Amino acid sequence: MTIGWLRGWLVALAIPVALGVAWELAVRTGVAPGRLMPPPSRLLHTAAALAASGELQKHVAATMTRVAVGFGVGAVAGTLMGMLTGASETARRLLDPSIQALRAIPSIAWVPIFILWLGIFETSKLALIALGVFFPVYLGMLSAIQSVDRKLVEVGRVFGFSRVGIMLRITWPAVLPTWIASLRSGLGLGFMFVVAAELMGASEGLGYLLLDGQQMGRADSILVAMIVFALLGKASDGVLVALTRPLLRWQDTVRGRL
Amino acid sequence: MTTLAIEGLSKTYADGTEALRDMHIVAHSGDIVAILGGSGCGKTTLLRLTAGLDRPSAGTIAIDGQPIEGTHPAISAVFQEPRLLPWLTVGRNIAFGGRRIAGPERQRRVGDLLARIGLAGNGARWPKDLSGGQQQRVAIARALIGRPEILLLDEPFSALDGFTRGSLHELLLDLWQEMRPTILIVTHDVDEAVFLADRVVLMRPRPGRVHETMTIGLPRPRNKLVTEYDITRRNVLRGIDRALAADRATRLGYGAVSPWV
Repeated sequence: MTIGWLRGWLVALAIPVALGVAWELAVRTGVAPGRLMPPPSRLLHTAAALAASGELQKHVAATMTRVAVGFGVGAVAGTLMGMLTGASETARRLLDPSIQALRAIPSIAWVPIFILWLGIFETSKLALIALGVFFPVYLGMLSAIQSVDRKLVEVGRVFGFSRVGIMLRITWPAVLPTWIASLRSGLGLGFMFVVAAELMGASEGLGYLLLDGQQMGRADSILVAMIVFALLGKASDGVLVALTRPLLRWQDTVRGRL
Repeated sequence: MTTLAIEGLSKTYADGTEALRDMHIVAHSGDIVAILGGSGCGKTTLLRLTAGLDRPSAGTIAIDGQPIEGTHPAISAVFQEPRLLPWLTVGRNIAFGGRRIAGPERQRRVGDLLARIGLAGNGARWPKDLSGGQQQRVAIARALIGRPEILLLDEPFSALDGFTRGSLHELLLDLWQEMRPTILIVTHDVDEAVFLADRVVLMRPRPGRVHETMTIGLPRPRNKLVTEYDITRRNVLRGIDRALAADRATRLGYGAVSPWV
């Protein structure tokens, strides 16, 4: 188990490490200039300097807080709205066409109107992230409820469960796998939207670090911010999977896990 | 004592398809009644109406003279597929059928039933880890944990191999002998009907209706290797021929004549 886990990590890291070593050698031997694409040693140095000054932690905290709040609001709203339209034919007919039309609007198109409505500070940023998370979660929940096996619902009816009982004992566990998958894609979109939000004017956050790097011509800051994004995104997805895995132990899938 | 009376039951779907017409079936307490017929003759529709999963277009279903509507605590069912809830362990799946029973008693019954169906010690396993026959055993246990007075079985053994089917017939009869529910079993298997039932209701299609009812007088436990069993089986087969001839006659528009009678 532990050896397999270690081997998995080594395999996953093989390509990035090989590329990093090759680039480091190319820059050190003078084959490549390394100004716009700094070698790993420079990136490590920049990251260490940012961390030592407390800058990196400040930016990470700002970004993660925005993602957490935006994801929380978007996921709860998407789940509730998906449950409503999934469970009620009337609600679906009334709301779903409008929601689908809103979904078709490119996310960046919301930025100007959010700034006008909600100001340039935190609220507009959180609203943009929440919006990005909302759609995949909503869609996942709606389609999951609609595809609940009628035969299992009938089992609940035969054994005398009420509508609410069937919702809790059959519908909810049946939609869990799809709902969790939609949370994961919502979280991914949350990270995408936090960058868009922070690019539209922020004084802290990893998106700010990106923009600042561009304006100052600091390719190393940009790349450090990008790598931190990759690590944070992967880590939060891992946390989500770990938290939800016990709920899906019963699944009879090829890998038995997400 | 519980009598299930199906009177004048008809079902026409919204698209105009007439699935059942004027069905009359009475099952007395502890009877096993087999509903025998080919595909599309409304057997499953009949069972769904009795279970309260669909509403009849006309007619009534009554328990001890009291008409019922929708699902009823006295009625339980086993379907063609096990329909176990994949997110519940085997033990919890069985307990699912005993919603109205108090916790400790329910746990005791789950333990008893697991032993009776040959799955003692397997209560914590997931349904996905069981074979098809084992899953159907669990479905039978789930249907019986609440000690229903009426048990509906919708071709529960049709997807299983001959060996497994035989052992499940034995299991069902054992549990029936102990709890004595009235059983309505839908099947297209003549052997199954003759082996299990006190009475066989032969159905014919277009629309589904009762063609004739036959009493199976064989003593229990039944032995498939004796002449009487063979004779009874042949009688049921003749009944099926008569039902087919009647159906043919209806379709072609002349009176019921069979070369076999």
